[in-house]
Amino acid sequence: MKRRQRRIKTKLAVIGAGLSGFSAAIFALKRGIKTTLLGHTGALAYTTGYLDLLGARRGRLLDDPWAGLAALREDEPEHPLARLGNDEIKDAFACFTAALRDMGIGYSMPGALNRMVLLPAGIRKPTLCVPDTMLAGMEAADRRAKTLILDFAGLAGFSAAEFKANFLTTWPAITVQKIQFPGMEHGQVFPEVMARALEVPSLYAELARRISPRLDGARYVGLPAILGMHAPDEVHAAMERLLGLPVFEIPTIPPAVPGIRLRELFERALPETGLELEPQLKVQRADLRPDGITLYLHGPMEDLEVESEAVILASGRFLSGGLKAGHETLSEPLLGLPLYQPGARKDWYRREYLDRRGHRINRAGVKTDTDLRPLGGDGAPVNTRLFAAGSLLAHQDWVRQRCGTGLAIATALRAVKSAQAILS
Amino acid sequence: MMEIAPERAEPVDFLTTARDLLPEGASYEACIACGLCASGCPASGLYGMDPRRFIRMAMLGLNEELAGTPWVWTCTQCKRCAYICPMGIDVSVLVGIARGGWPRDKKPKGIMRSCEAQMRDDSTSAMGLRSADFIEIIAETVDEIREGDKRFKNLTAPIDKAGAEFVVNQNSREPAVEPEELGPLWKIFDYVGVSWSYTSKGWAAENFCMFTGDETSWKEMVKTRVEAINALGAKTWINTECGHSFYTMWKGIERFGLEADFEAGNLISFYAKWIREGRLPVNSDWNRDNLKFTVQDPCQLVRKSIGDPVADDLRFVARKLVGEGNFVDMQPCRSANYCCGGGGGFLQAGMNEQRRAYGKRKFDQIIATKAQYVLTPCHNCHSQMSDIGGYYGGKYHVVHFWTLICLSLGILGPNERKYLGPELACL
Amino acid sequence: MSAKSSAKSRLYETEVLIIGGGVTGAGVMRDLALRGIHCLLIDRCDLNAGASGGNHGLLHSGGRYASSDTRTAAECRHESELIKKLAPECVDDCGGMFVAVEGDDPDFAARFPGFCQAAGIICEALSPQEARAREPALSEKIIAAYAIPDAAIDPFRLVSQNVEHARRLTGSVFLPHMELEAFQIADGRISSALCRDRRSGAAVRIRARQIVNAAGAWAMNIARLARCEDVNLLYSKGTLIVSNTRLGRGVINRLRPPGDGDILVPGGTVSLLGTSSVTVEDPDRIRPGVDEVDRILAEGAAMLPGLEDARFIRAFCGVRPLIRASGAATDGRKAGRGFSLFDHEDQGLENFATIAGGKLTTFRAMAEKTGDLVARRLGNTSMCKTATTPLPSGDAVRMTEPGRAARDWYRRAEPDDLILCECEMVPQSAVDEIVGHAPGAEDHMSLQAIALRSRIGKGACQGAFCAHRVTSYLYDCGIYDSDNGMRLMRDFVAERYRGVRPVLWGRQLPQMELAEIMHCAMAGLDIAPDEAEQ
Ligand SMILES: Cc1cc2nc3c(=O)[nH]c(=O)nc-3n(C[C@H](O)[C@H](O)[C@H](O)COP(=O)(O)OP(=O)(O)OC[C@H]3O[C@@H](n4cnc5c(N)ncnc54)[C@H](O)[C@@H]3O)c2cc1C
Ligand SMILES: Cc1cc2nc3c(=O)[nH]c(=O)nc-3n(C[C@H](O)[C@H](O)[C@H](O)COP(=O)(O)OP(=O)(O)OC[C@H]3O[C@@H](n4cnc5c(N)ncnc54)[C@H](O)[C@@H]3O)c2cc1C
Ligand code: SF4
Ligand code: SF4
Repeated sequence: MKRRQRRIKTKLAVIGAGLSGFSAAIFALKRGIKTTLLGHTGALAYTTGYLDLLGARRGRLLDDPWAGLAALREDEPEHPLARLGNDEIKDAFACFTAALRDMGIGYSMPGALNRMVLLPAGIRKPTLCVPDTMLAGMEAADRRAKTLILDFAGLAGFSAAEFKANFLTTWPAITVQKIQFPGMEHGQVFPEVMARALEVPSLYAELARRISPRLDGARYVGLPAILGMHAPDEVHAAMERLLGLPVFEIPTIPPAVPGIRLRELFERALPETGLELEPQLKVQRADLRPDGITLYLHGPMEDLEVESEAVILASGRFLSGGLKAGHETLSEPLLGLPLYQPGARKDWYRREYLDRRGHRINRAGVKTDTDLRPLGGDGAPVNTRLFAAGSLLAHQDWVRQRCGTGLAIATALRAVKSAQAILS
Repeated sequence: MMEIAPERAEPVDFLTTARDLLPEGASYEACIACGLCASGCPASGLYGMDPRRFIRMAMLGLNEELAGTPWVWTCTQCKRCAYICPMGIDVSVLVGIARGGWPRDKKPKGIMRSCEAQMRDDSTSAMGLRSADFIEIIAETVDEIREGDKRFKNLTAPIDKAGAEFVVNQNSREPAVEPEELGPLWKIFDYVGVSWSYTSKGWAAENFCMFTGDETSWKEMVKTRVEAINALGAKTWINTECGHSFYTMWKGIERFGLEADFEAGNLISFYAKWIREGRLPVNSDWNRDNLKFTVQDPCQLVRKSIGDPVADDLRFVARKLVGEGNFVDMQPCRSANYCCGGGGGFLQAGMNEQRRAYGKRKFDQIIATKAQYVLTPCHNCHSQMSDIGGYYGGKYHVVHFWTLICLSLGILGPNERKYLGPELACL
Repeated sequence: MSAKSSAKSRLYETEVLIIGGGVTGAGVMRDLALRGIHCLLIDRCDLNAGASGGNHGLLHSGGRYASSDTRTAAECRHESELIKKLAPECVDDCGGMFVAVEGDDPDFAARFPGFCQAAGIICEALSPQEARAREPALSEKIIAAYAIPDAAIDPFRLVSQNVEHARRLTGSVFLPHMELEAFQIADGRISSALCRDRRSGAAVRIRARQIVNAAGAWAMNIARLARCEDVNLLYSKGTLIVSNTRLGRGVINRLRPPGDGDILVPGGTVSLLGTSSVTVEDPDRIRPGVDEVDRILAEGAAMLPGLEDARFIRAFCGVRPLIRASGAATDGRKAGRGFSLFDHEDQGLENFATIAGGKLTTFRAMAEKTGDLVARRLGNTSMCKTATTPLPSGDAVRMTEPGRAARDWYRRAEPDDLILCECEMVPQSAVDEIVGHAPGAEDHMSLQAIALRSRIGKGACQGAFCAHRVTSYLYDCGIYDSDNGMRLMRDFVAERYRGVRPVLWGRQLPQMELAEIMHCAMAGLDIAPDEAEQ
């Protein structure tokens, strides 16, 4: 039997289904560019849902990310964020959060300062934009309000007691309760499964019934992020209505809901606004020509060829397969782009894990010009139609600098603008 | 609760065996233990197992436990785990190996019986319907339709017609237990004017042998059908509305290196094509009450075979049929959809409690859509969703596409409405 | 024993104080307890913190030393036979093989059976085909192969069982985090051992009639504290790497004079490849290095080509305390593997002894000799019983066995017993058991202590997930109740990292990347306030 062949002609092909790839698709579609996105699950599925711009520098947390960016431009001029202007970055956040809201998940708008959000271990971290379902948690913590924190029997890795113990000095008015999730009284429970179940009204009503008698004068209720998968704002609003109190979610360790929520949101809503999406396949090979780029993919039954005028590579780092580590060197496996290499293997990681300078390997990545065109060994762009965005870029350490989303979406915006300039 | 299958045919080393079955570059060694697969798998928790655990146990060399856990019959081999895993790790391959290693007499009787029935003669029918009987039933049913509806007085359902454009494999359920359900599809073919044919040998569209883990019989099934289709010289082979048969066929052809001189087509995409070409002028005028419909993407057809393009066609057809505003998607859907829990032989395995626990997630998904109807082009999905609907107290109906197409075209016979609710049955 | 606490210092009294919670100290403790003697075992860290927790886990048949040291070889043969019989739960009697590949000295290979015979070791010649049938991972370039009765041993379990048995026999006690700092000496006797509890910082005084120094590589330092100049050790650091899955069925030795990367030992569900041998000046602050790992791997791949693509999840190292005979060679590989017992009587002390050198395999013999001396000094006339008394096992001491927790959990099928470590499938109940009953449980249990007594943190994720889940569980149980739990988690992951760092390439790198995100971006461990260490 002949394998099926499918050919797609598009203006812009985006490789990578992470924050960077999806935001590039959003920005491109807004500009009326015919866009195709190709990608597989990656780091996005694990994220907390908080959209960080710049939360830390040199081992210190930052209140003001914009001031942080100014400092970054001084001492890390090659940092991808340092090469973008504040307006462009603000634009990326504003446009991205507006798009999220339009698609169905409400987020706070980017502000002048970072906001101190909650993490599962009972600590806080700075971020720029916060999902609506998590907003009340900051307020409760700031006010040191009497708050009931819930956890669930069978949910490993989230402990209300731990949350409370770590907030003992700064937020003493926390009470904790362990409850059973309706219909999942035994065995291991996963946040994802609870979240999906909560899309059924009778289930959230039952959950609220189980919580109500335990409130004991609490002013806020916090629980792990399980309030719905594709309509979290509705489920959240319903819980607040039923309990008569502000309710907030706290992200959990993977496998967690917020990342899956975002991925499913993009997969559901973007095709409706015109995105051509191939959510299952990885690009296997690419043919870069001066007049266009062809990408080759292999599905279970068919071979797919994507003919495009411009390509944005947003394939992420090691976790997502955008970068690979051999015994001696690091590589970009799809196009073989030359990378900024942080020395030999013994130099990749520092002696101490938590060294505040961060590991050198995190700064490895694709080198680009200011239009985000990857540079070849000769220092010139590899191809005028090829752009790169997101965490695979060199000279940043998004983990330590808490700039994952900012890096992903601001560079995506720049890449889209650069690509637009060359499209016919 | 966790019985271990007693005498093993032979001990398997899962990792070594799997290594030979995985695509180039794929490796269980790449697992980072993140649990995305487990969190997204409806079989998680049954018999204490889940896909991550299955992989971890394979890494730990717990071959005996893996070989014995009945969980392998609750994994529907839907490959959602591979879809969601950043490393692309596919647990269903290990599950297939485990199933194959069970002693024949310990494998779930229902699946075994179905496969054995298929092996009995060249009808390949899992319901034991011999070719001669099939031919007779077809002829009788054709006569009934010709008599019952003047518009179809020339309707045919050819068998072994050389040179037909399409060869159609027919799921046994209709000829065996509800022949009146054969009519709608024939009418559609007749309406569009396609040249098609059944084959007398290997006519059936189901393949439980793959689910038993028995590669030899799986191959046997596919071979019989491929030869019959080759013999007619048809350009395209399609199935009736059925998921797994589609997958087992193309996958079997690929896996066993069989010569097939035809393309694998799927009915849904042809419905879509015919609608686009104006040959099947369906509309939603009949849906005066604005009944809400959702669709179930069969894993075997969408995620495991064609991917989102066929999911798009499915939605295109559904929207045309029920009206734009009356279509609601389940979440998640398309390639990310959940298996209903009827696949992989689960429906036949006699493990009702586990099957329904698995199906709870599907049930919740359906309820969250608030739809009154679920459309699906797959027999297994159809049966499973009806069953869990009844079990958990859902009020929805499950219907085939052909029913709605004929309803919309005004050609649905009075005896072809058994799956419709009263409000539509009386239209 | 009695323990008194005062405001500033605590006092313990016992018959015998044993310094060093490795296999030697644990062995001595049980040997004495079997003679009815009460002991106090202390370690500045925890059980198995030294070489006993950083070795290859090979229960030597003696084959390895047959060519160079017939006496040690014969001793290993004898002791390994006893251990297999008396502590079968600690042993994976997987058998072993010596193989030579193209380029190795065929002459050495030909003489090997003769060496073995001299030490009484059974050695069976195998054709290269037979060898590969037994070990499919072997290279096709094998030129000679012999089967010998090597086995694998779980040192964690061995030590725990010794300590646990001693507790049951005479109520002997193990105190972790108790560092010996000085001795008070008067009239040819050590009157008190002055220690510090490294967690609370409290000073602790221990009074004992006899004191045994079983501090492994640190035995020379301890002896010096007692003004004994007779112990001279050579420190030989050895590094090993751990694979993600088990790569061989039995032990595979390279048939040549000992070198780097020449033994692959199964560790239950994984394999350990090693070792290097580098002479170091200081037994403290040793770490596995990238260069060493590459060397081991390159050597190992000559024998087992599959190692090139295998996933390795960590490296670790230990220091072999080798007895330096005066004026002897400084090459650790060539120094003898024998042990020495110092009675220190010529140093003017009558209640102090040092036992040093030797092997894990010969720990029982070392303990016997030490026990004989100490018992005699105490006027105890019982005979050593360790050569005939089986080593009892128990629930709390078997959690270090790879695959054990997974198998148990699977069999018990208790859905509410949540798995906390998914890689190795360690459930809550295993943590409960350890917290309640494992040796050291009298003391406070932390994530580190539990991990040491189980497989937690030893699988592919190396603490990325389980550190979070176990920590949450300990908070839920009330074992942690302040922000200290996070600090302990930070120490734990920082320690795990040291071993992971040298094997970060290929498939372990995405794992590390996710771990760093979870520890830093999600748990803020890189920014948490910097408390003083300890
Ligand atoms: C545990 C965790 C917590 C996080 N928490 C936060 C947080 O609190 N705040 C925050 O701002 N950010 C957070 N992030 C980071 C954020 O989620 C972003 O994922 C990250 O910054 C990288 O985005 P990206 O799009 O560049 O790459 P990725 O998200 O890694 O996406 C790359 C995509 O490319 C795909 N791909 C790779 N190769 C190919 C190919 N050949 N063909 C097609 N597709 C390919 C991959 O499958 C993947 O989908 C977190 C991430 C993790 C893992
Ligand atoms: C890399 C390597 C591989 C090996 N492989 C094998 C093998 O395969 N088979 C085999 O039989 N043997 C092997 N050995 C040898 C074996 O591991 C050692 O001989 C044995 O473990 C030594 O045990 P020990 O109790 O004497 O010393 P250790 O285990 O080192 O114990 C000494 C203890 O003393 C403690 N301590 C130190 N100072 C103080 C203080 N001031 N106060 C309190 N406590 C203190 C330390 O914390 C430590 O826990 C190997 C050794 C190495 C290094
Ligand atoms: S999703 Fe993939 S990497 Fe994660 S646990 Fe499952 S198989 Fe392993
Ligand atoms: S194939 Fe489907 S049922 Fe089986 S483990 Fe994967 S997700 Fe679960």
